[in-house]
Amino acid sequence: MNQNEPSAYTAEETAIIRKRQAGRSRVMGIALVALCILFFLITVVKVGVWG
Amino acid sequence: MTTATRDIILPAEWRDFWALTKPRVMSLVVFTALCGLLAAPGSIHPVIGFTAILCLALGAGACGALNQYFEADIDAKMARTAGRPLPAGRMDRASALNFGIGLAAFSVGIMGVAVNWLCAGLLAFSIFFYAIVYTIWLKPNTPQNIVIGGAAGAFPPVIGWAAVTGDVTLMPVLLFAIIFLWTPPHFWALALFMKTDYGAAGIPMLPNVKGQRVTRNQIFGYSFPMAATAILPFALAETGWVYGVAAVVLNFIFLALAFRVWKNEATDAAAMKPEKQLFAFSILYLFLLFAIFAFDRMVIS
Repeated sequence: MNQNEPSAYTAEETAIIRKRQAGRSRVMGIALVALCILFFLITVVKVGVWG
Repeated sequence: MTTATRDIILPAEWRDFWALTKPRVMSLVVFTALCGLLAAPGSIHPVIGFTAILCLALGAGACGALNQYFEADIDAKMARTAGRPLPAGRMDRASALNFGIGLAAFSVGIMGVAVNWLCAGLLAFSIFFYAIVYTIWLKPNTPQNIVIGGAAGAFPPVIGWAAVTGDVTLMPVLLFAIIFLWTPPHFWALALFMKTDYGAAGIPMLPNVKGQRVTRNQIFGYSFPMAATAILPFALAETGWVYGVAAVVLNFIFLALAFRVWKNEATDAAAMKPEKQLFAFSILYLFLLFAIFAFDRMVIS
């Protein structure tokens, strides 16, 4: 978006959008970290490191 | 995404995506799958077992999201479902579809790679059966919708079992049959006291198509093969006395409540206390039956 263009949203709407985006980003971040750990553990089990 | 009062698009909250997965239905799926996994002979590495249950939960979530995508218009007509993200306008349909397809593909793929491809195939088939065969084809077209569609909800313990053994034998088929035969009395009890809601949405549930007397006869009729199937694992010496006694007691209560439903002649939802009691007990019944089955197989037998 061009910085000089007027925003399509009011300040109140922008605050709501930012809050929702932040919430979704947090949940996505937690999910990705959890999946990284899970895939690591699956790999370790599959290659037989723990017998 | 959602459209606000002056026609602007706002992103949906993560809670709305969570609501799309029907968490309460997911909990029953996870529970029955876990019981199947714990009761199966042999052992599974805890990480692989956890992955199998996680994939099942994600697959169930995909079913919920795809179901809500296809039924957004129907959900808007029923008080019980009007508050869901799509009919309430908190999310656009494309997001729900993408989320559902993504969850389905992810859960099946991980199940195949991490657990085994038999489980992945069963999971893929159950998602297809629920989202396409049941939701699109059976539910809006036949009063036998939940009888045939009940198969989709009966797969989780079979998948849990197959995660451990890598095959499907008589016992997981019996677990499948218990849930398959439990589904009609469970849902028809709900359909009796929610008849107006289903009628408003144009869904041909049995009470709306064949009437309340036929539905009550069917509820009572299905309860007998369900009870017999639930006792079979003990009769076949696949479980110990704990499960045997519990199965007899739970099925006796279920049959007694189904009998009260059969005797009831009420047409007004407010006078359908036996139907509401049977619906509530049927959920407890399935939880207890599977929990005691797993406990018996793990500890006692």
